[in-house]
Amino acid sequence: MASAESSGSASSRYMGNDEDLMTEIHKKILCRDRQIRMLLSFFGERKHKTPSSIFIYGHTATGKTYIITTLMHILQLPNVFSNCIECSSSRYLFEHILNSLPAGAANGENNDKRISCDNMNDFVRLLKLEVGRRQLLDETIYIVLDKAERMREMEFNIIPAFLRLQELTGLNICTVMLSEIVWEKFRVGTGFCEPFPLHIPDYTQDELARIMMLDCPGGWSTETYGNYVSLFLSVFYQICRDLRELRHMALLNFPKYTEPIKKGEATEKDSRKLWRNIEPHLKKALQTVYLREVSSAQWEKMQNMSNEENEARKSHIDVCSTRSYLELPFYPKYLLIAAYIASYNPVISDRRFFSKKASRISKRSKLIKKHERASNHLLGPKPFPLDRLLAIFYSIVEDKISPSAIIFSQISSLVSLQLLGQMCADGQIDAVRYKCLVSLDMIRSVARTVGFDIMKYLYDFV
Amino acid sequence: LLSRATPRIPRRSGHLTSPETALEKARTRLHVAAVPDSLPCREKEFEDIYSFVESKVLDKTGGCMYISGVPGTGKTATVREVIRALQQASDSGHLAKFTFIEVNGMQLTEPRQAYVRILKELTGQKATANHACELLDKMFCSPKGPRRDTIVLLVDELDLLWTHKQDVMYNIFDWPSKTRAQLVVLAVANTMDLPERIMMKRVSSRLGLTRMTFHPYNFRQLEQIVLSRMTGLKIFDSDAVQLAARKVAAVSGDARRVLDICRRATEIAEANTSSKLVHITHVDAALKEMFSSSKILAIQNLSTQEQLFMRAIVAEFQHSGLEEAEFSKLYTQHLTLCRFEGVPPPSASELNAICWRLASSRLLLVEEGRLDLQMRVRLNVSSSDVMCALKEE
Repeated sequence: MASAESSGSASSRYMGNDEDLMTEIHKKILCRDRQIRMLLSFFGERKHKTPSSIFIYGHTATGKTYIITTLMHILQLPNVFSNCIECSSSRYLFEHILNSLPAGAANGENNDKRISCDNMNDFVRLLKLEVGRRQLLDETIYIVLDKAERMREMEFNIIPAFLRLQELTGLNICTVMLSEIVWEKFRVGTGFCEPFPLHIPDYTQDELARIMMLDCPGGWSTETYGNYVSLFLSVFYQICRDLRELRHMALLNFPKYTEPIKKGEATEKDSRKLWRNIEPHLKKALQTVYLREVSSAQWEKMQNMSNEENEARKSHIDVCSTRSYLELPFYPKYLLIAAYIASYNPVISDRRFFSKKASRISKRSKLIKKHERASNHLLGPKPFPLDRLLAIFYSIVEDKISPSAIIFSQISSLVSLQLLGQMCADGQIDAVRYKCLVSLDMIRSVARTVGFDIMKYLYDFV
Repeated sequence: LLSRATPRIPRRSGHLTSPETALEKARTRLHVAAVPDSLPCREKEFEDIYSFVESKVLDKTGGCMYISGVPGTGKTATVREVIRALQQASDSGHLAKFTFIEVNGMQLTEPRQAYVRILKELTGQKATANHACELLDKMFCSPKGPRRDTIVLLVDELDLLWTHKQDVMYNIFDWPSKTRAQLVVLAVANTMDLPERIMMKRVSSRLGLTRMTFHPYNFRQLEQIVLSRMTGLKIFDSDAVQLAARKVAAVSGDARRVLDICRRATEIAEANTSSKLVHITHVDAALKEMFSSSKILAIQNLSTQEQLFMRAIVAEFQHSGLEEAEFSKLYTQHLTLCRFEGVPPPSASELNAICWRLASSRLLLVEEGRLDLQMRVRLNVSSSDVMCALKEE
């Protein structure tokens, strides 16, 4: 009885009538007043009909999921939240929705039998049954589908059916789809009941600052943190508007900002000094941490070692993406070099580089070449056949080696290490074409280890 | 309103009334399901099939016959009539008893289910497809066993019994060649050259050369069919029936089509005028309803922007000389058209919605939406139709 009463009071109290509820919502969700007003007017009262489906879209970390889950939580609406990545097939999606329907107002006995369902037809039938059993008939039920773009990979009937679930079941159901892409890209087949689209715009710089102020660490005044956030955003806003990333970064770099204050070298008001201290640090952070090359724990550890020599070493730390050092046996190194040359040099230049009786380059051809300088490197690697690779390989390796099985197995192991790419179907052994997939820096370091000057052999750089 | 948008078959409110007026009587007689006792204009085919089956039953041998013809030429009805006549003959003692079995390829979920069906009809026994095949094999091929009646097997929609190994077809045509089987197979399909086209050599050779083709009805025959159903009723103007028959004969020669048109004409006559006679104008109205293309009408009833988009597509096709264009090209073309017409131009996503609305009514053929601006668009109507439809205003 008590629960029934509470739900009854809840039904009368929203639609923006209850001041407490509205302030609670606005306290929880900042800078999204227009969208909240719109959603609340869609939702209406519990027994009102909503639009059959709402499509909410916006960039990463603009609060799509947060707004919906928070509204559902505060207003205590009966809802099912499902992530379409987790529910990878339609069967999982159906069973998740059926099994996690919220308990109704006055639900007496609760038999936890797992419902199984594998097609849309059963889903609609079972949904009707289940909603009736849980006594949710006079309320709007919200089915929230996060990452809805994944639904396009399921069966063709899933999206159209979810868009008109209200009509199919005859229940008061509202499907809310959340996605990062626009609705145009969902269209396929022969037409849908179009959902109501709601765009969530990006946060502006001021809005970002307002939200980030919320996670001011204890012990510091909001004013100090606010100054820091505006400094931080002036550096980072250009390249990143992702709130989640910005918050993470701001918290990570805050200890560095407060260092002079702790040491007593500056006061909290001394913003110029603090800025001079933090600016180079933030610029560096822009390059390293944002790409997650150094893990955040590592970064914090580095900050703790605050003496000068560690400071100097910071940029030299062995980060994962610049690890261009590769341990390979002797011949695979040459094979890789040969593959690189074969990928980036045109076939006609092979004679000039590798033939004994190579003619010298005329002045005119040098001039022509200047025009297309580095064009091969801009266009990416080109495929080459196996015999060209072997020909180049034998001409760059000084000592005589026989084309043994080892050499061929080394080529295929280079493919499996993803240093070379194989261009044709597995079945045809005789028509395989390869591509070299390593960068110029890496091949230079490999060539240096065997004492081979690769730059002399690259058409683009001669 | 939502419930009205969902399509469903309307419920029947009361009992069906027995026909009272002459028009209603005519309508029940014109119904496709009301097959008459004797089929007009198929006497020769009837004779041929009758004598074929009769001779096989008399000789107690087996054989195959392949019957082909376009839909609505009376193949199945004629075969059934032959069987009915033969059954009467055997009841009256002129002919030995025989069993009649019918298998329809369209009614089977899977070709091999034909075995199950045949076995069930013969013995009432239920079995899996493989087991049923074995049992039938034993029944037809084993040298000893009780003498049985001849079995007449009608295989309708033969082309659906096609499997990769063609084992179902092979068995069905192989059993009649066994001496003990006494099986007469009448295979019915639409295409004349089906044995040559899809069957393997050993299957088509077992089918044999006893073939029969049902030609499409000409207009005289169609007229006769309608008039034979109308005996005793003075409903149709003779010109009216002739018009329907001539029109249908020119297109397909399908008897069902002409019956449908006549039925529809009686309805129109009943609704529009109080006349007891169906005139040529009613038939003409029915013909227009059934034969006219709805696409031009659909284009004429599109919204302004949709019509502009159709014109943009035609303009782009004429410009490029291809019958296919990317959405981005169409968008620029549409914007120019809007500027000429002085209509506020839509945004790209609005135009995308327009494009998909047209695609879902099948006026356009488009690729899937995730290709966005690279989505290629084709017309599903001829571009002259579009221009014709849009010019009339």
